[in-house]
Amino acid sequence: MLEDDVAAFIAGHVMMIAATRDEAMRAHIGRGCGADFDPDVGDLTLLVSATQWPEFCANARPGAPIAFTVCRPDNYKSLQIKGQIIDVREATADQAERGRRYLEGMLAVMADLGVTRLQLSTVLTNADLVAIRFWPADLFLQTPGPGAGERLRSGA
Amino acid sequence: MRDVPLEAIRDSFEGIMPSVIATTDAAGMPNLSYLSHVHYVDSDHVALSNQFFSKTAANVELRGRATVAVLDGRIGVQHTLDLVFESSSRSGPIFDRVSAQLDVMASLQGKSHMLKLRAVDIYRVEACRRVDPVIAIDKPQRAGVERDLLAEAAAATAELTAITDAETLLDRSLEILEERCGFRHSMILIADEEGRKLQTVASRGYPHFGFGAEIAFGDGIVGVAAERRLTLRIPDMRRSQRYVSAVAIASGLARDDIPLPAIAEPQCQIAVPLISGGRLSGVIFAESEESFAFSYAHEAALEIIARQIAASLLIFELTDAAGDGAARHTAAGGGTDADRTFGFRFFPRDGGVFIDNDYVIRGVPGRLLYHFVRSYAETGRREFSNREIRRDRAFNLPDFKDNLETRLILLRRRLEERGGPIRLERPDRGQIRLLIEGVPEIRVVEG
Repeated sequence: MLEDDVAAFIAGHVMMIAATRDEAMRAHIGRGCGADFDPDVGDLTLLVSATQWPEFCANARPGAPIAFTVCRPDNYKSLQIKGQIIDVREATADQAERGRRYLEGMLAVMADLGVTRLQLSTVLTNADLVAIRFWPADLFLQTPGPGAGERLRSGA
Repeated sequence: MRDVPLEAIRDSFEGIMPSVIATTDAAGMPNLSYLSHVHYVDSDHVALSNQFFSKTAANVELRGRATVAVLDGRIGVQHTLDLVFESSSRSGPIFDRVSAQLDVMASLQGKSHMLKLRAVDIYRVEACRRVDPVIAIDKPQRAGVERDLLAEAAAATAELTAITDAETLLDRSLEILEERCGFRHSMILIADEEGRKLQTVASRGYPHFGFGAEIAFGDGIVGVAAERRLTLRIPDMRRSQRYVSAVAIASGLARDDIPLPAIAEPQCQIAVPLISGGRLSGVIFAESEESFAFSYAHEAALEIIARQIAASLLIFELTDAAGDGAARHTAAGGGTDADRTFGFRFFPRDGGVFIDNDYVIRGVPGRLLYHFVRSYAETGRREFSNREIRRDRAFNLPDFKDNLETRLILLRRRLEERGGPIRLERPDRGQIRLLIEGVPEIRVVEG
């Protein structure tokens, strides 16, 4: 369901947050360290530090729901993608390298906006990355404002 | 159980990046939304502004729970809060403060029509967990001991209570704020209820003093602080792109106005109303080029000092009003008046005074100046007293609580900064002496 424009947006310099939930329906927040859309299969892979966000990752299990928001830090343009997790694995060497590049790129972008590395110490972390692959079912506009939460596309 | 007390993380509530709120819907699907601010209520509660996130609101209504992540912009540490919804409020002190904060932020971003607060939601904080960096990508640079701002505020008020006149109080308080609390750019503005304006009477740390520069009630952080009688703080102005032009608009700059003292790129601002005896006498304002320069502790210290300034100003007014310093009615003669004439225009509608087509001042200080100059022109009088001014209905001074002394300070400073041909001297407590070089050609412009 993700078309080229959305895939390009995700692949750009965007901040990433995600949420899973536990059995008691309590949501758990994690921050992403890169994401990759596979156009052939149509699924998304999100990289998250398992040690930085243990509760989020503990609830990221195959079959579990996930919400994923990407936000451009210079204009707050945001999209939220919701879907179902297909599988969760330790990041491969390629994915870890992708996470490292994402982290370095975002540090540079944020530095241009006046945000320091210190301020991002717990926001951008690539330690012990896990790759959470999920099927995107719904896409919502999430830019802060009256239109936030508007459903753009549904693949469900 | 609370792992981290909320008081310890108050500075995270207005972080460098928006906070994140996560909820779960009826189908068990999580939802994420950004929050501009999390507001501290007490050690067990926070308030969230409920503006746009309708999915979040629906999920909270259904489940009564939310999870929030906040980031301390100064040290990069995050906390996650487990919240339980308690109530929604459309009025009251928390609502008022959040609403005022949002209005200031919205006006800075030029989005005042978009950010009207509908309600604040009060949540009980079930847990607050620290998210430490697993890999430190940078180390905190400021390892030094933080100032004990409570002790500094106590020492500041001790010194201020020993001061016995308003002028020393105004200047010394701004010096003390820099010395003890690190507020390097600050000003005090006096409220003029008649014009619903604030006028700068003292400033420190700016290229010019800007005495008499005005801000309208309701404009910008200073005007909103006066109008709502609330302390307001913007920790990080980078999050608003259009603040430079917005500040210019907020200042109400027009052709005849005095430029407001300003620094080139303010990143952090705070405004505290001066209130004593239930009455607003003005606003104290401080700003910094550094984001997050002013913490909650700075805010509390400034509030304590501001209340002492307000109380002292009121005491001076009461003392002055109770005094009997009569005018000495010195006759003209022996002055240094030159022969040259200058235009002096007075606008009774707003008390505005222009000298040779240049704007000087308006409001009560303008009415005072007109009175002095007219009396001088008619009778040659140069000496006046606070006491007679208080008795004269023409000044629109309803009673003793009128900031007369601070208005006279403002007027004297404005004339001094402007540099002739009219100046004021204060030869004695409660006394005013007019110095004029030249002959005023007075014209009263009605309408």
